[in-house]
Amino acid sequence: MRKLVIWVVRGYLGLLLLFLYLPIVVMVLLAFNQSPLYKLPIVWDTVWFQSLAHNDRLINAGLNSVGLAFANMVVATVLGTMAAMAFSRYQFRGKLLLELLLFPPITIPWLIIGISMLIFFFWIGIGRGLHAMLLGHVALSLPYVIMVVGARLAGRGVVLEEAAATLGASPWQAFWRVSLPVMAPAVMAAALFAFAISFDQFVISYFLAPPGVSTLPVEIYAAIRKGFTPEINAISTIIIAISMGLMLLFARLYRFGGER
Amino acid sequence: MISRRALLGTAAAAATLAVMPRARAAGDLHVLNWQGYGTDEAWALEAFKKKTGFNVVHDYFNSEQEMLTKLRTSPGAYDVVLINSTYTQQASSEGLIQPIDSAKITNFSTLLPAMRDSVYLNTDGKIYGVAWVWGMTGIAYNEETVKPAPTSVEVLWDPKLAGRVCLRDDAIEVVSFAAIATGQDMNHPKDLDKIKAKLLALKPQVKTFWASEDEWNKFFAAKQFDVSTYWSGSAARSKTNSKLPVGFMIPKEGGIGWFDGLSIAKGAPNADGAAAFIDYMVSPEFYYEWATKIGAPASANLKANATLPDGDVGKAIHGDAESVKRLTYMAPLSDEERQAYGDLWSEVKTELAQ
Amino acid sequence: MMQEARRRATIGFLTAPAYVWLTVTVLLPLSAMLFFSFLTVAPINGRVAQLTTEHYLTFLDKDFYRTLTWRSLRLGIDVTLVCVLVGYPAAMALAKYVHGRWREAIFLLIILPFWSNGLVRVYSWTMVLREGGFLDWVLHEIVPGAPAVSVLFTYPAIVIGLVHSYLPYVVLTCYVSLEAIDDSLTEAARSLGASALQAFLRVILPLSLPGLLVGVILTFVPVIGSFMEPRILGGRSGIMLGTVIEDQFTTVFNWPRGAALSFIMLGIVLLIFAASAPLLRGRLKGF
Repeated sequence: MRKLVIWVVRGYLGLLLLFLYLPIVVMVLLAFNQSPLYKLPIVWDTVWFQSLAHNDRLINAGLNSVGLAFANMVVATVLGTMAAMAFSRYQFRGKLLLELLLFPPITIPWLIIGISMLIFFFWIGIGRGLHAMLLGHVALSLPYVIMVVGARLAGRGVVLEEAAATLGASPWQAFWRVSLPVMAPAVMAAALFAFAISFDQFVISYFLAPPGVSTLPVEIYAAIRKGFTPEINAISTIIIAISMGLMLLFARLYRFGGER
Repeated sequence: MISRRALLGTAAAAATLAVMPRARAAGDLHVLNWQGYGTDEAWALEAFKKKTGFNVVHDYFNSEQEMLTKLRTSPGAYDVVLINSTYTQQASSEGLIQPIDSAKITNFSTLLPAMRDSVYLNTDGKIYGVAWVWGMTGIAYNEETVKPAPTSVEVLWDPKLAGRVCLRDDAIEVVSFAAIATGQDMNHPKDLDKIKAKLLALKPQVKTFWASEDEWNKFFAAKQFDVSTYWSGSAARSKTNSKLPVGFMIPKEGGIGWFDGLSIAKGAPNADGAAAFIDYMVSPEFYYEWATKIGAPASANLKANATLPDGDVGKAIHGDAESVKRLTYMAPLSDEERQAYGDLWSEVKTELAQ
Repeated sequence: MMQEARRRATIGFLTAPAYVWLTVTVLLPLSAMLFFSFLTVAPINGRVAQLTTEHYLTFLDKDFYRTLTWRSLRLGIDVTLVCVLVGYPAAMALAKYVHGRWREAIFLLIILPFWSNGLVRVYSWTMVLREGGFLDWVLHEIVPGAPAVSVLFTYPAIVIGLVHSYLPYVVLTCYVSLEAIDDSLTEAARSLGASALQAFLRVILPLSLPGLLVGVILTFVPVIGSFMEPRILGGRSGIMLGTVIEDQFTTVFNWPRGAALSFIMLGIVLLIFAASAPLLRGRLKGF
């Protein structure tokens, strides 16, 4: 019986991964396909990787994206985790307001947020640029971080924190020794969300990017008009390969699967 | 566990890195255009830099409204901007672009007078846009599957092609075609109900909508449709570059003509460079390379068009005097008209989706 | 008193940065937009605007807006439902039946697709779903002579694309909650005579509800505002409230109407949450 369950579980997760990776595999396969119109059947060629090597615009945009996504991940995770802790530990006035503030970034189409940020930033002199994009990306990521970390904290760890306090730990000690380990998996997941949200964000970046500065999604979005060549598949393939490598490394260094 | 100091340090470093503003170099020239629409060809920018020393930097838009929004909210950021002639008046009346001195455009005298002197580009005797390229919107079809070659706009409603029709998802364009099909003035149709009924009759016909030339080519290559609205320059490119069996025609009932101009943004930091760039863009030497290497719409410069070799697909399409005679040129629309067409199209699409 | 002051300082320290950030980037810009939604025209570049409620009345006036609202809501419900039905068991399997290295590996594999661009992923789906695409090809390899499969440009294609985008959110949020449940609780329930089903319904499900609900919110809410996936995958079935809102900004210069439609959408979402508040109360405790 137990064995059957294990097999069902494995088969199910296998199917799930198959579904998740189907378009990714297609994306990778087509990076090696000669036809610029994505015609099938596949004719193997590395021509798109070669032309990518000379595409400074796409490469620069890729580097901007990575930098921005990283900055966003750090800022959003720190600010979001702090707010989530306040949410789960304290009752206070103004809590509802902040909760309501979390809804617009996920409900209102990004297009509208993007345009309203553009106008507002223009008015108050923030202007356009990577700094403006960072402001926007963090705003979009905060709800995700706060919700994911908040869900984990809901009703957990309080007892342990109190115990730590009773035993004479300072709030800081309690935080680093007790709260953070409890939150760790959620903080990790939230950080990954935050990174991915920024890395994939094109609408806001699109409006807040000044001439000559762009990110990968902005380039890809604009490329749809010009001609969506498999160069885009090639760079996506490289990104997937690098992140897979980083993830594996990461997984070796920090075991955040939950077991010690 | 990552140490607290390391975490804060990274955060601070990352924040500073991201907040550092980028300076605009003195020799830069900022151009706002659709991506891949001539001005950003790498070989052209190299040639232009050699000639003038200016380094061209691009920013792109995906719709005319975005172009206007970017101009409004970033004064002083752009030098040259591409504006479809139906939007030039609006841009100048909003004070987004500045008059151009024709003396600085050495190719000015050989531009097609009908476009160069059009009221769309000229206000109170001042030039706000230099006519650059023009084209036609007609109907493209698969030469292998649609026989005989269609000549009427009614081909879109042909029951034999049910489920094989593609349209550009653009309210103004579909309303124009429906107006042509119902025998009305394309720019200011009187009977919108008739147009709505005609568009609703497309329900069994439409397979999908297209948004960009690239998407069009991919759908066509994958045999997703047989007949579709399309642009003349794009049809030439699809045939020559992508080797697709694309036929293109301007319906006997009429077709849509349009032209694009290049303008200089108000407060352009490099207005002289902008004029030099526009002059280069309308020159025969640039156009010849663009049209033969990449494929382009027709140039507004007569001399430039004359440089094309015989047998050039674009030349054949744009040089067909009979087709050109059937065109009605797109006129500037008021916000109210655009809204009315937009609402009508949304309503029709909702019905098509049900 | 001391303690109260200290408590306040802590709350202030923890929440102030997020408050300030969201105020500058969300509250103030959107307040400007909300103001715009009551104007006749967008008051930029010297346009003179009057106050009006016409854009909100237009919504009530035109039948197709109601149809589109319902289409968007239905899309949100369908996608969320599929994500929950597929994602929750997966999170459960991951948290309770897979251990050690395998768990880490699968966990990472589930997040990895995020690292590819959303637009590229949607385009890849068009290659899979279209007639003569990968799905069609595989099917004909297995069943020669089967009729051609073309899912592209239909409603199911939109659902597939969106489920693919949001499934990882549901799996991860559920996983984070499920993983936190101590196995001894289930064991205790079982030893007290509860069946496996009872143990699940009485112990595991309630304890994992916060994560599940967060997953639902993070899926449902953005899906009803989506416009890119419906446009690309839906073809003629692709029109939604989100795409019409986008049109107001990109093709028709009517920001007030676009803003009004978005605030109506936000209002509907908040109404749905208010209506389900009794259900949510206590579930999202501390939240």
